[in-house]
Amino acid sequence: MNRTGPPAVELDGVTRRYGETTAVDDLSLAVREGEFFTLVGPSGCGKTTTLRLIAGFEDPTQGEVRFSGESVTGVPPEDRDVGVVFQNYALFPHMTVGENVAYGLSFTDPPGGGSAEARVRELLELVDLGGMADRDPDTLSGGQQQRVAMARALAPGPDVLLLDEPMSALDAKLRERLRVQVREIQQELGITTIYVTHDQEEALAVSDRVAVMRDGTPEQVAPPRTIYREPATEFVATFVGDNNVLSGEVTAVRSTDAADADSGQTIADVTVDSTTLPVALEADSDLSSGDRLTFCVRPERLAVDADRNALTATVTSAEFLGETTRVHLDWDGRELLLRAEDPPTGTVTVGFAPTDAHIVDRRS
Amino acid sequence: MARDHDSDAKGAGSDHSEKATETASSLSRERGRTVRNTIERRGIVGLAVATIALLLGIFYYPVATVFIDSVLVDGRLTGRVFISILQDPFYFGEPARLLAGEPIASVIEGVLSPDRRLGVIGFTAYQAALSTVASVALGLPAAYLLARYEFPGRRTLRSLTILPFVLPSIMVGVGFVATFGRNGTFNAVIGVLGLGQVDLLFTLEAVVIAHAFYNAPLVARVTTAAWESVDASAVETARSLGASPFRAFRDVVAPQLYPSVLMGAALTFVFTFSTFPIVLALGGFQLATVEVFVYRLIRDLEYAEAAALALIELGISLGLLYAYLRYEAKHTVRSRGIRPLPRRSLTPPSFSVRELLPRMGLAVYALVALAVFIAPIASMIVASFSGPEGLTLANYQFLIDRQTTGASFQVQPWDAVRNSLLFGVASLVVALPMGVVVAVLTTRDYRGRKLVDAVAMAPLAVSGIVVGLGLLRGLVFGVEVGGSRFAVGGGLAIVAAHAVAGYPFVVRTVAPGLEGVDHTLVESARALGAPRARALLDIELPLVWPAVIAGAAFAFAISIGEFSATIVLASGTNQFTMPIAIERFIGRRLGPATAMGVVLLVVTSASFLLIDRLGGDDVGF
Repeated sequence: MNRTGPPAVELDGVTRRYGETTAVDDLSLAVREGEFFTLVGPSGCGKTTTLRLIAGFEDPTQGEVRFSGESVTGVPPEDRDVGVVFQNYALFPHMTVGENVAYGLSFTDPPGGGSAEARVRELLELVDLGGMADRDPDTLSGGQQQRVAMARALAPGPDVLLLDEPMSALDAKLRERLRVQVREIQQELGITTIYVTHDQEEALAVSDRVAVMRDGTPEQVAPPRTIYREPATEFVATFVGDNNVLSGEVTAVRSTDAADADSGQTIADVTVDSTTLPVALEADSDLSSGDRLTFCVRPERLAVDADRNALTATVTSAEFLGETTRVHLDWDGRELLLRAEDPPTGTVTVGFAPTDAHIVDRRS
Repeated sequence: MARDHDSDAKGAGSDHSEKATETASSLSRERGRTVRNTIERRGIVGLAVATIALLLGIFYYPVATVFIDSVLVDGRLTGRVFISILQDPFYFGEPARLLAGEPIASVIEGVLSPDRRLGVIGFTAYQAALSTVASVALGLPAAYLLARYEFPGRRTLRSLTILPFVLPSIMVGVGFVATFGRNGTFNAVIGVLGLGQVDLLFTLEAVVIAHAFYNAPLVARVTTAAWESVDASAVETARSLGASPFRAFRDVVAPQLYPSVLMGAALTFVFTFSTFPIVLALGGFQLATVEVFVYRLIRDLEYAEAAALALIELGISLGLLYAYLRYEAKHTVRSRGIRPLPRRSLTPPSFSVRELLPRMGLAVYALVALAVFIAPIASMIVASFSGPEGLTLANYQFLIDRQTTGASFQVQPWDAVRNSLLFGVASLVVALPMGVVVAVLTTRDYRGRKLVDAVAMAPLAVSGIVVGLGLLRGLVFGVEVGGSRFAVGGGLAIVAAHAVAGYPFVVRTVAPGLEGVDHTLVESARALGAPRARALLDIELPLVWPAVIAGAAFAFAISIGEFSATIVLASGTNQFTMPIAIERFIGRRLGPATAMGVVLLVVTSASFLLIDRLGGDDVGF
């Protein structure tokens, strides 16, 4: 990954409005050379519009898109050297698989200087579709069509690969297999890739970095692990994976002594309703009593029969997911989620370590 | 940039000089590509500009000259011609007296008196209203039959509803003369039944029935489409909530049909308001509509009055269309019929009243439809092979003889056929690219698209007479450009008029196709490096080519059957076409007229077959 040069793709204060609605709102992003960058968010969050702005299918109402430091304002899609794969693959139905892949080569020489035919063969082999060149696209399965679309987008050797929910029309198993393949191809070519999906699991699985989008702006841009473990906002905390979000008032901030189990930690006592829950703070936290604090605890971090931060709750329902069970609890009228291999029933006491709580919001 | 991920590895060993030559050759290739790119990139803009320029030249400029003709009398600007038409009871009936400044009371008295005058415009509106009622009355049962019953030939019947668009109206006129004339098949049939004789020719009834022949299929077509898109589950929901079949129809189905019925009625009224060949053939001057009067005024060289009258007519037509479009915009409900209502069998499953009654109704309707739709065409064919002594080819022989022996001022049948085909092909060559370009322009999003749409589709609303008159006055009589005079030959002007009449049909067939092309296909092509014009050529047009061919067949058929503009332009020249030949024959020799009609029928039917085979269902009417 080249971290010294200008970003491969950069959005600088980009806004896109359609009449009254703002699809993308003052968005700034920088995608590094060779990076697998994912835009994830619920439908209507502006992720697809962002991709279309990068591809040049739409023009920003305000702001600028830059490729390798150069503005591409006014540059039509055909001159941007991007490869695009759409959700529906958009294979040309009147052309064979081979003609589809070769189409982009009628506007540029095959990278590497070989013949167009060789390039088509090479790409089809790359996506495991060697020998399929003469087939009609509609005789292929969904997964095969998706790979043809990949091959076609890559054939002219684009600088940036843009993938717009390329898996969402496929069934779950195939989706998992293909996303691994997409990631492998991306790594092999080292191509800068921007991937749009609404599936947060997919985003975490394949990306170098993820931007979680909401209402046209990114809430957080970070590597997958950071997104999952240290969500920046309540929205990220609940959108990516399951989470228990609690808020309350800070009643005390204290340093633990050596005798305490959380030795060396700064602890805030947060009163949620009438229960006081100790939550670990950063050492340099300037939190003080009276502040309102919102924090989250992952369901898998809740332990049954724990004695610390113990909450007595009632099991309301359970979903068996295979390796674990997602248990819905009712604690004083709040819903809590718990992951357990052996789901409890009836009344249960769950608890969590102060260091398993992650703060997403504070207000003084 | 990283365009060459692979070449980095492969090119690592090559030395300096190799790289230099490589660069030079790729540079020149790059330059060649740039030139081609520029053409492709500007392609659509260039085509758009050319199309609009052509449209200005062969439509807007000529029509503008008509307008100028009506306000510029003896070199002076005046509204005199308009005002005198508006104040003349001959045109505007009793209300004209109001405009002339007479007291309201006496005008009302005049309106209420039994010998009130409708005026030409009033009569035109009156016959259009009657025709609309007749067309809706004849069209709705057909829609019911087509939408709700399954029977052999249903699809064929459904696609036949497009036929009136391509059937030349003057030919239909001949068919009606052959059917309802004194010696027509209708009298022959009722004569056998001992019911005496009627002469419907040159009566309002004949005109109204002929208009219904033309427009009832249109009503049926749009209503059937709406009916087929009613979701069966909506009806089933209403039934499960306690609605009787009748209530379910009234509350769920009917509201979804009204807009389409109204659309059919509105279009019928506008079409029949500006009717011309039918009235000319069946009504004569005693039943003259506005359009016929305009034609008569042109023949009498009263250009200013003709132009003013034509413009008043155009104003009324456009006003009606506009009112309708406003209504449509407000009331269009796009319901996607996920599961259409099931079709019933035509043979009743049981002999209960409920099953028999609607089917008996349809049987009665079938008889009426037979008389209105089939009889005129059949009669024309029969008449063309009939003579005083029974079956004969004399009528066709006459056409051939007239060709070889006719005087030069007489209609030469073969010349008419040849001219028709020639003009058909020539106007197709103009109309097809125009239509495709306009379809492209009107299916893309950009500022001013609505304006382009309106400018491009206006010719559909302007009568052929006006276009013909405009071309005659503006181009055939010549235009002064920088001191020298340009004049266009009559033949070229006819081609221009036909192209103007035909290209909206190309637009109407191609645009829905283009609309249906997934935009991501075009975007994929562009991301792969294709300029917009190339994407159109490589992706969109190959995908909609059946619609393009259908549009071409439409344009050709429209040209072959075009009458109004042609008769204006043909008067001065010898550029007769088949419809003009029929008009010349019809008064004096019905036999040859029917023979010529059959030739015309064969040519247009072939076009129709082509349209039907290649996706006529998509036509946006």
